[in-house]
Amino acid sequence: MLMPMASLYTYLLICNATLLLLHRCSGLSLDTVRDFLTREEDTIVFSIIERAKYPLNLPAYEVPAYFAGSRHDASFAELFVRDSEAVQTKAGRYQNQEEIPFFPFRVPFILSPSYNFTSDLYPAAAFVNLNDEIWSIYFNQFLSLLAKNGDDGNYAATAASDFLCLQALSKRINYGRYVAEVKFRGDPQNYTTLIRNKDKDALMKLLTSESQEDVVKRRVQKKAMVFGQNVTSNGPVETGDSNSSQASFKVDPSLVYKLYDQWVIPLTKQVEVEYLLHRLD
Amino acid sequence: MAEQLSLAAVRGALIREEDSIVFALIERARRPRNAPAYYAPAAGADDGQSLAEFFVREAEALHAKAGHYEKPEDVPFFPQDLPSPLFPTKGYPKVLHPFASSVSVNDAIWKMYFNELLPLFTVDGDDGYYAETVALDFACLKALSRRIHYGKYVAEVKFQDAPQDYSPLIHAKATDALMNLLTFKAVEEKVKKRVEKKARIFGQNVTLEDSADKNEGSADDSECKVNPKVLSELYDRWVMPLTKDVEVDYLLRRLD
Repeated sequence: MLMPMASLYTYLLICNATLLLLHRCSGLSLDTVRDFLTREEDTIVFSIIERAKYPLNLPAYEVPAYFAGSRHDASFAELFVRDSEAVQTKAGRYQNQEEIPFFPFRVPFILSPSYNFTSDLYPAAAFVNLNDEIWSIYFNQFLSLLAKNGDDGNYAATAASDFLCLQALSKRINYGRYVAEVKFRGDPQNYTTLIRNKDKDALMKLLTSESQEDVVKRRVQKKAMVFGQNVTSNGPVETGDSNSSQASFKVDPSLVYKLYDQWVIPLTKQVEVEYLLHRLD
Repeated sequence: MAEQLSLAAVRGALIREEDSIVFALIERARRPRNAPAYYAPAAGADDGQSLAEFFVREAEALHAKAGHYEKPEDVPFFPQDLPSPLFPTKGYPKVLHPFASSVSVNDAIWKMYFNELLPLFTVDGDDGYYAETVALDFACLKALSRRIHYGKYVAEVKFQDAPQDYSPLIHAKATDALMNLLTFKAVEEKVKKRVEKKARIFGQNVTLEDSADKNEGSADDSECKVNPKVLSELYDRWVMPLTKDVEVDYLLRRLD
C-alpha cells in the first residue's frame, strides 16, 4: 500500500511536528521509562520477600465450602483483593493511567483531592493490560515456587501480601504501554508500517534487545541476593553455611531470575505489541 | 508469633520485623510528602477525616472481616466498631495473659508517624498519587505497630525468666523501676546499629557494575533511598521506647 509522495511527505511532516510537541509536553522518555522499570525491580523484590515470610497457606486460595456454588464463588484471597481494590478505588487510586485494577469497581464518588495527571498514552490503546494472565500465573505457577509448604493461619496478612505482589507485577508489566509509546515516538515510520501490516513477529523483534534483557535479569537476581540476605550487627553478613547456599536467602535469587525471564519480560513485551497494534486506531 | 514462646523466637521475630519496617519506609520514600493526603477534611469524608484516616479505617474494616486482629501483636488503629471475622479463623496457642489484646499504644504510633517521622524521610512535594501514598503509609504503620506490640511477648518471656524480680515491682506499680529492669542499653545500641545497616544495604542502588562488596552497602548515605540515620533515630526515639511502654503496660496487669 503506497501513499502518493505528496501525502506521504505531508504525513511525515505532521508526525514529526506532533512528535516534537509531545516531547515538549510530556516527561516521557527512554530514560524515565528505564528509571521507572529499574526502581520497580526493588518494589517487586521487596514484595516477594515479604510474601515469602508466610508459608503457602493454601486455605487462603480455596473456595470456602459454604461459598461454593453461591454468588460469592471466590477464594478468600480473591475476595480480599476485590475488597482492597474497592477501598483503593474510593481513595482515587486508579485515576491516573499507570495502574489498572484486577477487578474494576464503580464508585459514586472519589474521596481523593483532585489532581491534573498528564496523560502520555494514546487514548485508544491505554486499556491494554494482561491482568488476567498475571493473576493466573501468580497463583497457579509462581506462588508454589516461592512459599514453603505449611499453614500458619495468617490468611489475611498472606492475602494482603499477595495483593502487594500482584500490584507491583501488574504495574511493571502493564508499563509496557509506556515503553511502547516511547519506542513508537522514537521511530514512528518503521512502527507505523509494521502496525499497518499487523506484523506481530516483526514488532516483537523490533522491541527485543536480548543484551538489555540479560542485564535486567541479572540485576534483579542480584537485588534478590542483596535485599534478601540476613543482616547481622557484627562482622560480615551471614549468607548461609556455605557461600553457595541459597537456603538462608529469604528468596531464592534464581527464582527471581526465572520470574523475570519466564514471565515479567515476555508479558511486558506482549503488552507492548498489543498496545502498538492499537496505536493507530 | 511462634508457638514456642522463647527469647530466641521473640528475638527472631523482632529482627525479621526490622526488614519489613525498612522495606516499608523505602517504599514510602518513593513518593514525596503529598500533604493533601493528610488535610482534613478530605472532600466527602465523614467527621472531617483526612484521606489517610479514611483509608486506614476502611482497610482495617476489611482486615477485621478477614480475621486479622486475632493475635496480640496485630492491633488496629481504629478499634471501635470493627466488624467481626467473616471467615473461620485458625486458632493460635495462647501464650500471653488474656488481657494482652487490650494493650495498645497505637495512638502514640499514629501521631509519631505523621507528625515526626514522615517529615524526616520524605521530600517536600506533591505528585498527586494520594491513594498510593496512604496505602504505603498504612504498610509502614502496620509494620511499626506490629514490632512495637511484640513487646507483649518480650515482657512475658522476661517475666517467666525472673518472676521473683518482676512480681514485687508489679505489685508496687513501680513503673520506673520496671522500665529500668527492662532496659539493656548494650542490646539497644546493637539494634540501632543493625537497623541502620539494613537501611544502608536495602536502600542502596544495586547495579551490575559495582565490584565493591554490595553486602556492606555503599559508603555514601546520601545515595540511600532512606537516610540510614533516620532508621537509628526512629528506633532510638520511638520504636524501642514505645516497645518498652507496651512491656510495662503488659506487666502491670500480668498478675491480675
